[in-house]
Amino acid sequence: MWNDSNKYDRGVNTFSPEGRIFQIEYAFEAVKMAATAIGIKTEEGVILAVEKKLPSRLMDPTSVEKIMEIDYHVGCASSGIAGDAKTLADHARVETQQHKFSFNEPLKVEAVTQSIADLATHFGEGSEGMKEKPMSRPYGVSLLVAGVDEDGPQLYVTDPAGTYLKYKACAIGSAAEGAQAYIKESFKDDMTLKEAEKLSLQVLKNVMEEKIDQHNVEVASVEQTTGKFRIYTTAEVNDIIATLS
Amino acid sequence: MSKMDFHAKLAGNIFKIDNDDTEKAPAMERGFNPYVTNEGTVAAVAGKDFCKVVGDTRCSLGYTILSRDLSKITKLTDKVVVATAGMRADAIALHKVLLTRIKTYKAKFHKYPDIDVIARMLGNTLYGRRFFPYYTFNLLCGINSEGEGAIYGYDAVGSYDRVNCGAMGSGSELIVPILDNQIKDHNVLEPEAPSDTEIVENVLRDSMHAAAERDIYTGDGLEMFTIDKDGIRFEKEPLRRD
Repeated sequence: MWNDSNKYDRGVNTFSPEGRIFQIEYAFEAVKMAATAIGIKTEEGVILAVEKKLPSRLMDPTSVEKIMEIDYHVGCASSGIAGDAKTLADHARVETQQHKFSFNEPLKVEAVTQSIADLATHFGEGSEGMKEKPMSRPYGVSLLVAGVDEDGPQLYVTDPAGTYLKYKACAIGSAAEGAQAYIKESFKDDMTLKEAEKLSLQVLKNVMEEKIDQHNVEVASVEQTTGKFRIYTTAEVNDIIATLS
Repeated sequence: MSKMDFHAKLAGNIFKIDNDDTEKAPAMERGFNPYVTNEGTVAAVAGKDFCKVVGDTRCSLGYTILSRDLSKITKLTDKVVVATAGMRADAIALHKVLLTRIKTYKAKFHKYPDIDVIARMLGNTLYGRRFFPYYTFNLLCGINSEGEGAIYGYDAVGSYDRVNCGAMGSGSELIVPILDNQIKDHNVLEPEAPSDTEIVENVLRDSMHAAAERDIYTGDGLEMFTIDKDGIRFEKEPLRRD
């Protein structure tokens, strides 16, 4: 890839003769280097778990926000450039609120994902005098979008190309492949939410370089019974970690 | 002559303050009034698991009958209809807007909107014209996601409210008290939505015939829509034509 990418890797709106847009592929690389995030869907709800890479022990781990609420019923976990993740999440938040205003109902999880994917494909040069210029480059982030709506619990994954796919369980980030293999071994269709909580952190524990504790991981869930998204407290995370093997 | 001028002149005449006899020519008022009302009546009752809507088919302009067969009720989805009194042109335009907005919603979310969603949609559509309103008075009728009969009543600029029965248009003053008495159960401890379709149908039919007796703008034809779990049924019958 690196050999033939000399001429066509500058413009974001230029295909290479092989039919590739290099800036998008580089954005995928940004995700491949980032901390791992995991999502597992069960009948009872969806679990999101992410690793937080803390560069210094002097840093306050609570300021690293990798899991974000989008609306009461949807949240997302990110892997990639944190600033880009915020931009996408903010866009999704506006979209959900706008839908609630216009139609008096929560936005469906697929439509939330669609709106994120829409923005992700809106990069390019724009033109002078445009009110809101589009992002000049692709977003270097993948999102796990978890939520509950009338179709039950759902987990979607978006990528820098603006593709979105629906998963039962998925891992993104640097250890995606390893994590995915672990999940594939242990995932069952009739898992409980508790089992999914445990599995998600067990997988993170296995793939993380640092020793897992309540500060360097973040966990959240969307439950079918309440229909609400919730980020776990450090105490709750600690309780789950205590059960790991 | 404005009201103020009138009072000043009156005072001048009585107290002889104003001795100026030169009469100014009254200012000519110019302008275009974009509104007319075509009158007519719609009414609806929500039952336990059904909803019945009636409307007459006369379209008037002053003492003239423009049409004896113009519907006031439009089917929006398999569970929802909208019944509109007021100005026909605005009603037709509004129904078209609603139908396209519902089509867009269906394309985007792969499902038809429930009545509470359309209720907000209609409210926003009307409020969007806050300063040049659609001259329409709407009843949005159907069954909701729980299968219960539901009616939403509106004013011209989009204030809305869920009600268990309602009437709009020139005959509404005649019909509302009948519905209050027969359907609303104001003086009952535990009001219950009516479950007998025949009773509801008769109340609505008789109300419309009663309105047609006294209201010159209501008559010619009666349309009745019934919405329940099996979909929407439509019947038509004659009404006084004089």
